[in-house]
Amino acid sequence: MAEAGFERRLERLFAESPEYPDAPAFASRVERRLDAGWTARRWLIGSAGVGGGVIGASQIVMSNLVQRVQSAGDSAKVLSAGLTQITPKAEWLTSVYSGGAVVWIASALAIVAMGFALSRVIEEL
Amino acid sequence: MAGSTQPKFASLHDVELCGLAATGERRAFGELVRRHGSAVRALLRRMGAQPSQADDVAQDAFITAFERIAEFRGEGTFVAWVRRIAARLYLKRMQRERRLGELAEEPSEADPVGGPEAEAVIDLDAALKTLATGERVCVTLCFGAGLSHAEAAEALNLPLGTVKSHVKRGLDKLRARLAPLAGADLEGRRGNG
Repeated sequence: MAEAGFERRLERLFAESPEYPDAPAFASRVERRLDAGWTARRWLIGSAGVGGGVIGASQIVMSNLVQRVQSAGDSAKVLSAGLTQITPKAEWLTSVYSGGAVVWIASALAIVAMGFALSRVIEEL
Repeated sequence: MAGSTQPKFASLHDVELCGLAATGERRAFGELVRRHGSAVRALLRRMGAQPSQADDVAQDAFITAFERIAEFRGEGTFVAWVRRIAARLYLKRMQRERRLGELAEEPSEADPVGGPEAEAVIDLDAALKTLATGERVCVTLCFGAGLSHAEAAEALNLPLGTVKSHVKRGLDKLRARLAPLAGADLEGRRGNG
């Protein structure tokens, strides 16, 4: 009984901690470390995003995608011409597939989507 | 701004602050550090850490706690949770510095226990300093960090029986030093690190 009483008293003594005079400075140091870690993480993710974007863009340029789409557009025109013989209402296909503008629009949309995704990931982290 | 107490956080309960910290609110966590920083630092000093080392480990413990805040379910108190993290980090550091081996050693009978007459005024910190390293660490882990004997044994990588005997010997010595003080007087005393 006395044993248990002493142990409870000891636990209370351990729970009663001194308040150190430099407690605010200690808290500031911890907050600075948290802020530094957060900033470093944002830079890391941002850099990774930029790096990935550059690599992706360079891959698009190097794969002659524009020319391929252009030739696909030409093929579509031929196809459309064929379809026109079947029905005159198939002209929309030509407008959709013509030119490399589609690629740039798709790329822009992809970049916007990537931006949203990146900002979401940063928020989650 | 780092270090400034924000009134909107000062009025919140620890559990609410933990909830905010879990959403990435670092200022809310800063308020928790302000409230409980001294308690964690004191525990580490009581385990035998030097003040600067205690501060380093306490900082690491709070950073770890922030990173793992989602694991805190509010089943115990926040400060008890961080104390356990800090105690384990300190033990790891001791292990790295190869000082953990000291804990397994049997203390010599010549350990300075002292008697109630040795000092007119005694507090917990002074009493802990009279214990052998193993006793001090085991008693602090079990009564300060709230670990069970088995958890302490696992954390220290020591046999359960060794931990139990360290705790028993440590308690006997502390009782010899602290028991003569009246309960109320004893409870009124606070460690001074």
